[in-house]
This record gives sequence, C-alpha cells and structure tokens, in this order.
Amino acid sequence: MKSEILYPGAFPMVRIELAEGEKIKAESGAMVACSPTIDIESKMEGGFLGALSRKFLTGEKFFFQTLRASRGAGEVLLASTVPGEVVILELDGVNEYMVQKDGFLAGADGVTIDSQMQSMTRGLLGGEGFFLLKMSGKGMLVLNSFGAIHKIELKPGQEYIVDNSHLVAWSSTTSYNIEKATSGWVASFTSGEGFVCRFRGPGLVFIQSRNPGGFGAWVRQFIPVSE
Amino acid sequence: MTIPPNALCFGDEFPASGIPCLVHVEGHGLTITFPSDHDEGESRSESVSFSTVTVSAGGLDHDQLVLTWTGSTGPRTLYLKNPAVIRAFRQAAPEHLSRPLEQAAQQVRQVRQRHRTVWTVVGATLVALVLGLWFGSDVLVELAVDRIPVEWEQKLGESAYREFLAGQDVTKDGPAVAAVKEMTQRLAGQVPNSPYRFEVTVVKSDVVNAFALPGGYVVVFTGLMKKADSPEEVAGVLAHELNHVLQRHGLERIIKQLGFVAVVSIVLGNPPGLGGVMKQLGIDLMTMKFGRAQETEADVTGLQLLYRAKINPEGMITFFQRLAEKDEGRVEWLSTHPMSSARADHLKAQLAAMPKPKAEPFTFEWATVRAGLGVPSAAIP
Repeated sequence: MKSEILYPGAFPMVRIELAEGEKIKAESGAMVACSPTIDIESKMEGGFLGALSRKFLTGEKFFFQTLRASRGAGEVLLASTVPGEVVILELDGVNEYMVQKDGFLAGADGVTIDSQMQSMTRGLLGGEGFFLLKMSGKGMLVLNSFGAIHKIELKPGQEYIVDNSHLVAWSSTTSYNIEKATSGWVASFTSGEGFVCRFRGPGLVFIQSRNPGGFGAWVRQFIPVSE
Repeated sequence: MTIPPNALCFGDEFPASGIPCLVHVEGHGLTITFPSDHDEGESRSESVSFSTVTVSAGGLDHDQLVLTWTGSTGPRTLYLKNPAVIRAFRQAAPEHLSRPLEQAAQQVRQVRQRHRTVWTVVGATLVALVLGLWFGSDVLVELAVDRIPVEWEQKLGESAYREFLAGQDVTKDGPAVAAVKEMTQRLAGQVPNSPYRFEVTVVKSDVVNAFALPGGYVVVFTGLMKKADSPEEVAGVLAHELNHVLQRHGLERIIKQLGFVAVVSIVLGNPPGLGGVMKQLGIDLMTMKFGRAQETEADVTGLQLLYRAKINPEGMITFFQRLAEKDEGRVEWLSTHPMSSARADHLKAQLAAMPKPKAEPFTFEWATVRAGLGVPSAAIP
C-alpha cells in the first residue's frame, strides 16, 4: 500500500495504491475516483452496535466504505467534504490517536476505530462532545482538517494551549485539561476564546487553522432568512 | 525485530511522537530494544536499572504507567500500556518503587472510579428525566396550557373559524338558528365565570357534524340537526363540544403535537410565538382529533352540564348510539368522535348515578325547526 497527497493545500486529494487483495476503509462519501479493479463496499465498522454507537455517540457516519482491490491492483482517490489539508500518519501498533469526529478520512485495514468516552468536564467544555474516535492498530491513517493542519510536537512535560474548536487529533500519551482562556469568566468569553485546552506532552497534537463552528456562524449572517 | 513493540519511548533526540520499543522486565531492571531504522539494520538496546527509575501515572486518561529516568543520552520517558508488561514490572520492582507504584495504581483506580461515578450519575439523571417526561408530560402540558391567556386562544380559534366560515353557506336566521342559540344559552348559563363567550353558527350542509374551536367558536351543520329526533339530542352534542372548549382540549392537543420544546417555551414565557410554530408544523385546527381521555372528559362534563341546564341527558346517549348504528362511516362527527360501546356504557353508568333529572322543555317546537330545514313532516316521529 502506497499513499501520496496530491495538490497539497486547501483542496488536496489522497491517492492510495492498493495491491491485489488489499483494502482500506474510508469515511463514507470520501471516494472521488478509483480503478475498475476496486470494489466499494459499505461496512458497519465494529458491527451493528458499534456502528450505531459511533453514529449516535460521535456523530460520525454509520457506515464506512471499504475499498478493496479484489480484481487486481489499482488506485483510489479520496477527498474530504470540506476544504482543508490532509495528513497521513503511520500507526505502529503502540501509538494511538484520539481524533475528533470529523477528522477521520481513511485508514488501512489494520487500523481499529473505536468510540471512546471522555471525562465529564472534557465532554461538556471541550467542544468535541463526549465521545471521540480512538485510532489504534497498525497501518496508515489519513486525517483531514478544516483549513491547514499544523503539527505541535510536545516533549515530556511540555505544555501548549489550544483553542478547543481547532483540535483535530492528538496522541493518547498527551493529557489535557480544559481551562478558561483568561483568568476571569467574562473576559474568557469576550476574548472570543471561551475555553481552551492545556495539553501536556509527550506526544503530537494536530490542530486545524480554521474553526468550522466559527466559519458556520460567519456564513450564516449572509444567508437570507426565508419565511 | 520480529516481536511487535509494546511501549513508546520519548527522549530529546527522538521525534515528539515517541519511538516504539520492546520492553523486557528483568531482575535488575528493564531492557529496552529499539527497532532499527532500516529492515536490515541492527536493533539497539538500552538497559535501565530499577534504582534510577521514577514511576507515575500518565496519558490522556491517566491509565498508562510512565517511567522516567536520566540515561547516558539525557532524560528518557517510557509510556507503558501493555497490561502484561505493567504486571511484570510491578512484580519485579524493588522495595523503593512499590510505594510510588501503589500511588500510580491508586491514581488510575481513582480516575476510573470517578469516571464510573460521574457517568452513573449522568445516566441515572437522564433515565429519571426521560421517565419523568414520559409520565409527567400530561402535568407539563396542563402547566403550559394554564400559561396561555384565553384572549390568545380566542384569537387562534377566531382566525380558523372565520377562515372556515368564509367558504360555507351560513344560515343567518330562522328557527334552526334560534333553536341552537337557545340551547347554547341554556348550557352556557350553567357555567358561571366562564372566560369564553360562545359563538355558534349554523352551517347549511348535509354533513352530519358539529365542532368547537378553541376560544368558544362552535359550528353546527344542518345535517346533524336533520338527523336528530329531538332537540335534546342536538343539545347533547353541543354540551359535549362546549366542554371541549371549557376544558381547553384543543390547546392541550396543539401543545402535545408541538412537543416538548413548545411546552418549555410556553412555561418559560413567549406564548405569541406559538402561532408561528403551529403554522410551521402544519397543525390544522380543523382536522385535529381529540384523545380518548379528552372525549371521556367532554362526555362526562357534558352530561353534567345538560343535567344542570335541566335538559334531558338521555338524548345525548341515544343520539350517539343511533348515529353509530345507522350511518357507519358516513357520519363525520363519529370520525372525529369514535363511538364505542364502552363509551356509551360509561355515560349510562354516570347517568344512573345521578338523581332523576328534572327536564324542562325548550320554548321552540322541534317539528317547526325541522320543517324549516326541509325535513318532510311525515318523517317526524
């Protein structure tokens, strides 16, 4: 399996070459084009209950699509719905990533996707919901973002503060606390940041340069209100 | 390296994501084997003595065992998640590590315990809320209905009423109108302090029906009057319809259909916004059906109203039953007021429990009213 990012920037596509018999899973609707040797199957990852819990708990799609090179080698082109960068990670069986609900684009067959519950404060204030996708296992993992993707590398004990709506994914060796952005409650919200996450290394934190919720609110003011 | 890695090692010269490594627990300490960068390359190993290691809990959920020490190449941090390795480490660890190990384990247990407690509390609260809403929804609906002013209810009913009458052949005067007015006055006169001013219109149509809109707007079709053998029968239907208004059944239905959000918004204020919500949801007052409990309530209170107005309540029961027997499927009033033997039995039982009614006749002649509606006199019993 070989992968490369085409047209890096705001409107990228991911090309994945599959040898005969290889397969990948992707977010449903992610496939843009593929060789005629590829079969597209719809699959409820983790069984019916797993899919159901993922759908209702994380807001991710009920079905993932499986792209299988069943009739010979071929390639698939994948892209996400929103304009934004794509990053390819390699899971080695030891490192795990927590991914916010819209961050997953595709993964190798060896990647396991679970929904994982967060603690109460993180769920309530973190802006990611109570459930996140936990990616473990072995193989390629493709994440997408809204805007550009930025990698923050944290050494053991090193801290970094991220606005919660800009999170894409982070390694499970990091830990984070939710805090007010400033010392006062009023200033926290008038500063426009509200709550922030204080991450503590070691590990990687991937953030997106644009905030989908903020963008939505900005677009909404231009949409004419219909009766 | 054929055995898959079981830990992540962090250090100054390593990438921030850490390097996967294979940890072996031995008598004196740990042996950490790093895979080579190339498939053919030699893997390298480091040995760490227990005496240099400090332990703590770490990771996103504080569920990983974190070992830190300063090696020859600088500070090192090792994240262990594999239960087998953690167990081996705890067994082999010397005396001075058992205390911090116990503290780390304690921390993990506390975090898990806290998660469990919080989620149990949240789950129990959610279940309690759902159950409370399920069983307490009637109470909530009544609460919301109480908050809606009668004037607003009248506005709602009036607009539907005017809209309906615009397309109908309204009978303005004549014996039928006079008869219906007299019945309504006698019935309404028995409801002291009623906030509703009842307005009754007779509509010329063969439809066997009558209905009441919220706010006290009542429509009687001439078809219903033609079917009635006595004025008491029509008065029975009127008494039933008036009580739908008095008990605010229409509003209860609307609010039930609008759902919980509307209930909350009314309880917390802002009733005028409801009209817009109703329009959006396409709730039509004309086609609205009442619930079984509401029908029973209107039956029983209607019966009591007839009794107080000194109108023979038998007419109500016999008329309902006769309509149900005769024109099954053709009587519109029954399509919105399904008749069942249980309903009639219930009414009979209620009537039997009351003292003998002292009925007073109406001032009009029913035969004249019917003749005015075009029923041949031979058909009058």
